[in-house]
Amino acid sequence: MALCACSFPAIVSCCAAASEPQKSTPFASHLLGGSDLGFHPLLKLNQVKKRSGGVYASLSEGAEYYSSRPPTPLLDTINYPIHMKNLSVKELKQLADELRSDVIFNVSKTGGHLGSSLGVVELTVALHYVFNAPRDKILWDVGHQSYPHKILTGRRDKMHTMRQTNGLAGFTKRAESEYDCFGTGHSSTTISAGLGMAVGRDLKGERNNVVAVIGDGAMTAGQAYEAMNNAGYLDSDMIVILNDNKQVSLPTANLDGPIPPVGALSSALSRLQSNRPLRELREVAKGVTKQIGGPMHELAAKVDEYARGMISGSGSTLFEELGLYYIGPVDGHNIDDLVSILKEVKTTKTTGPVLIHVVTEKGRGYPYAERADDKYHGVVKFDPATGKQFKGSSVTQSYTTYFAEALIAEAEADKNIVAIHAAMGGGTGLNLFLRRFPERCFDVGIAEQHAVTFAAGLACEGLKPFCAIYSSFMQRAYDQVVHDVDLQKLPVRFAMDRAGLVGADGPTHCGAFDVTFMACLPNMVVMAPSDEAELFHMVATAAAIDDRPSCFRYPRGNGIGVQLPPGNKGVPLEIGKGRVLIEGERVALLGYGSAVQSCLAAASLLESHGLKLTVVDARFCKPLDHSLIRELAKSHEVLITVEEGSIGGFGSHVAQFLALDGLLDGKVKWRPVVLPDRYIDHGSPADQLAEAGLTPSHIAATVFNVLGQKREALGIMSSRN
Amino acid sequence: MRCGYGLAALPGSDARFFSPETSFLRLPRTVHPTRIKFGSFKVRAKIDEARKEVSFYELLGISETGTLLEIKQAYKQLARRYHPDVSPPDRVEENTERFIRVQEAYETLSDPRRRALYDKDLALGLHLAFSARRRYQSDEDLEDRGEWRSRWQSQLSELKRRSMNRDAGGNMSWGARMRKQREESSKEL
Repeated sequence: MALCACSFPAIVSCCAAASEPQKSTPFASHLLGGSDLGFHPLLKLNQVKKRSGGVYASLSEGAEYYSSRPPTPLLDTINYPIHMKNLSVKELKQLADELRSDVIFNVSKTGGHLGSSLGVVELTVALHYVFNAPRDKILWDVGHQSYPHKILTGRRDKMHTMRQTNGLAGFTKRAESEYDCFGTGHSSTTISAGLGMAVGRDLKGERNNVVAVIGDGAMTAGQAYEAMNNAGYLDSDMIVILNDNKQVSLPTANLDGPIPPVGALSSALSRLQSNRPLRELREVAKGVTKQIGGPMHELAAKVDEYARGMISGSGSTLFEELGLYYIGPVDGHNIDDLVSILKEVKTTKTTGPVLIHVVTEKGRGYPYAERADDKYHGVVKFDPATGKQFKGSSVTQSYTTYFAEALIAEAEADKNIVAIHAAMGGGTGLNLFLRRFPERCFDVGIAEQHAVTFAAGLACEGLKPFCAIYSSFMQRAYDQVVHDVDLQKLPVRFAMDRAGLVGADGPTHCGAFDVTFMACLPNMVVMAPSDEAELFHMVATAAAIDDRPSCFRYPRGNGIGVQLPPGNKGVPLEIGKGRVLIEGERVALLGYGSAVQSCLAAASLLESHGLKLTVVDARFCKPLDHSLIRELAKSHEVLITVEEGSIGGFGSHVAQFLALDGLLDGKVKWRPVVLPDRYIDHGSPADQLAEAGLTPSHIAATVFNVLGQKREALGIMSSRN
Repeated sequence: MRCGYGLAALPGSDARFFSPETSFLRLPRTVHPTRIKFGSFKVRAKIDEARKEVSFYELLGISETGTLLEIKQAYKQLARRYHPDVSPPDRVEENTERFIRVQEAYETLSDPRRRALYDKDLALGLHLAFSARRRYQSDEDLEDRGEWRSRWQSQLSELKRRSMNRDAGGNMSWGARMRKQREESSKEL
C-alpha cells in the first residue's frame, strides 16, 4: 500500500505538465481506499476541473463506482427537461457526468442495455437542453439507448423497475410517458415516424421541431433509406441525428475479438470521419464565391455546392443526394459542440431535412464497457466497481447455443449448409458457427428482407441456407418469405429464435405470430421442438428437407435437461408425425413446442386429483399428424390444444382438420389454449405466462372447466400462489 | 493488485488495468490541439526510452503472417509466464514490464484495424511502440476533431445561407408550400 501512496503524486505531476492544471489533493485520499483501482487515477485526474467551491460531483469522484447510489447533486434538481433550461454549458457537462453514473448505477441493479445508453448521454443532455420536449418531438430509434432520456423526463424514481413486471419498459413507449413520442424496439423506424410527425405538424400549421436519433447500425436497414428518400422529396423541416459508433451487429465482434462492422456503408461513414478536407480547395472555393458574389447568388450557390461536394467525403453526398443537408462529423461527447450545432439548426428557418452525423463511442465513460468486445450492450445485474456480471449458473445451456451446435454438426457433415443472420450473431448463436465456418456464415446487417431473398438466391444454386432470424423480426421479411421463398418452393430453412413470450424485452420482441403466418403458407413445413434434443433432431430434419421451405421455432431460455444426441448430430424425424408422451384417458392435451412442458406439468398436477391425462407432442403443425389426431378425437372426451402463439396457429389448424374430417360432429370437445388477444407487457417470464394464462395451473383449470368440474378448477387457480 | 500501483507511474503503460488510448483520449478534453501535442510529446519521450526496438511479432514469437489463433496462443503462453503473480519475487519488475509489453502487443495485433496500422508502420521501417503510436494516432484524432469543428461550422453557415432563398422561386417542394401557407396564415392573424 505504501507503493500506491507514492505513485499518485508522480502521475499528478506528469499529467499536470501535459494538460491543464489540476487539483490533485482531493483525489489522493479518495483513491487509496478501494481495490482494483490501477486505471482509475488517470481517469479521475483528467476530469477534475478547477472548482471555486461548493458541492460538486463528477463521474470519477471517489474513484470507485458505488454499490450504493452515487452522489448526483445537480441531477437531483432535474425532474423534467424544463428544469435544465437555466444551466450553463459547464453545468451541463457536470449533469452529463452525473447522468452517466446514474445510468451505470441503475443498470447495475436491474440489468438492461448499458453500452448504448452510455454512448448517448451527452447527446441526450444536449437535445433536452436545446429542444422543448414534449412539444418538440424527439424519437429514439430502437429505444435501447433511451435510459438517460427516461431519467431526464420524469422517470428517474422508477428506474429501479426497468424491464420488470409493471415497471418501466426497456424501450420507448407512448403509453408510458408523453415524452416518448413513438414506440420503438425494432430498428430503423424513427426517420419514417419522424417524417410523419413533421408532415402532420405542417398540415396543422404548427412550428415545433422533430428530431429522429438513429444509429449507424439501424441505418443499414432499407426502411431508413425509404424514409430519407421521401423526406428529401417532401422537404419538410426535420432533423435526423446519425449516431455513429461503428457498431452495426450485436455484438460487433465475434467470439475472438472485435471485427469491423459489416456493410459498405460503415466504411463510407468512416471515410467521412477521417477525410481531411483540402483546406486549400475550400479557401479557393470561398475566394471564388466572394468574387462572384453580389448579384450572382445562384451561381455562387452552385459553386459552393460543387466545392462542397468535392471536398467533403463521398459518404455525405449520399445523404445530400437523398435530399438531406449533411452536417458533420461532430464529436458526440462534446456538449459544447452539440449544443451550438443544435441551437443553430433550431433557429434556422426553412432548413428542410437536415442530417447531423454525430460520432460517439458505445459504452463511453465506463472502462469495462469500452474495453469489452460487446461494449456491454446488454447486461444482467453487475457490480459497478469491477464490471463483473452476476450471470446465473445453469445446468443446461440456452436453446440458442444448442441450435448453433446442432447447425455446426450438420455443417460438418454437409458442406452445402450455410447460415445467414441479420446483425444478430450473438443473439442467434451464429457467432459460434462463424468461428467454425467463417466462410459459410453471412451477416447482412439489419436487413431481414434482404436476408430472406439472399437465402432464396443461395437455395437456387443448390446450397442449403439456414436463416436464423428472431420470430418477431421475421415479421419484417414476410413478403419475402411468401413471394420469394414459399411461392417458388425454394428449400430455405428458417430458425426462429425467441418464439413465444420473451420476458423483459416485452411485446416489441415477442414472437407471438410466427406459427400463424408460417403455417398458412401452402408449401411450408412448420415444426417446433418441445425440448433441446428435439431441437437437434429438427435441425437435422430441416437440413434433410430439400424440396420445400421449412421452419422451426424455439423459445428464449435454457433447455430442460434431457439427454442430447451423441456428437450433437440429430436424426431427421418423420415429417408429419407427432409422439405420445403419456397415455391416459378421457382428456388429451395436444401441445406444440415448448408448451408441451407446461402440458406435462399440468398432467402431473391433475394426477393427484385422480385424472390421468394423455399428453401428446404434436411436433409438426404442418403437415399435421392426421391419424394421431383422429385417434385422439375418437378415444377421448376432451381434446385441448396448447401453444404459446396467437390465434390462427396450431390450434386453428387442428380445429380446421377436425371440422373437415367430421370429428366435431361427434362427442369430442375441443378447446384451444393460446395467447390472449392483447399484448403482454414486459416482465419476468413467469409473470408473463401467468398474465397470458398459459401456466400449467391454467391448463389444468381449463381441463376441469371443460369436464364441468368448476369447483376443482377454482381450487387449482387459487392454490397457485 | 499490489503491482498495479507502482506501474501506474508510467501513464499509458499499465495495460493490465486500462487501455492506454481511452485514458489518453480523455486527457485533453477541451484543450487546443497545440496544448495536447506538447503534453504528449513529453510523455512520448518517457515511453520511448522505456521501450526496446523489438517488433510485436518478435516479442510474441510468431511470424508476421500469424493468424489470430496463433497470436492468442502466444499471448496466453507468455502472459502465464510473465504474470507478476506467478513470477519469482526477484524477477517481478522485469517480468511485469515484459508482461505489459506482451499485453500491448496482443491488444494491437488482435484488433484487425490496429494491426493493419501497425503492419503499415512496420513496413515503413518504423517500430513505433504501441503507446507512442496511440499518442500519434490520438493526436491525429484530435487534429481531426479540430478539423471537424471547422468543417461543421462552415456547413452551418452554408445551411443558414441556403435557408435564406430556400422557399423562393418556382418548383416548390411540398414542404416549401406548407411553410409558405403557414407564414401567410400567421401573417393574417
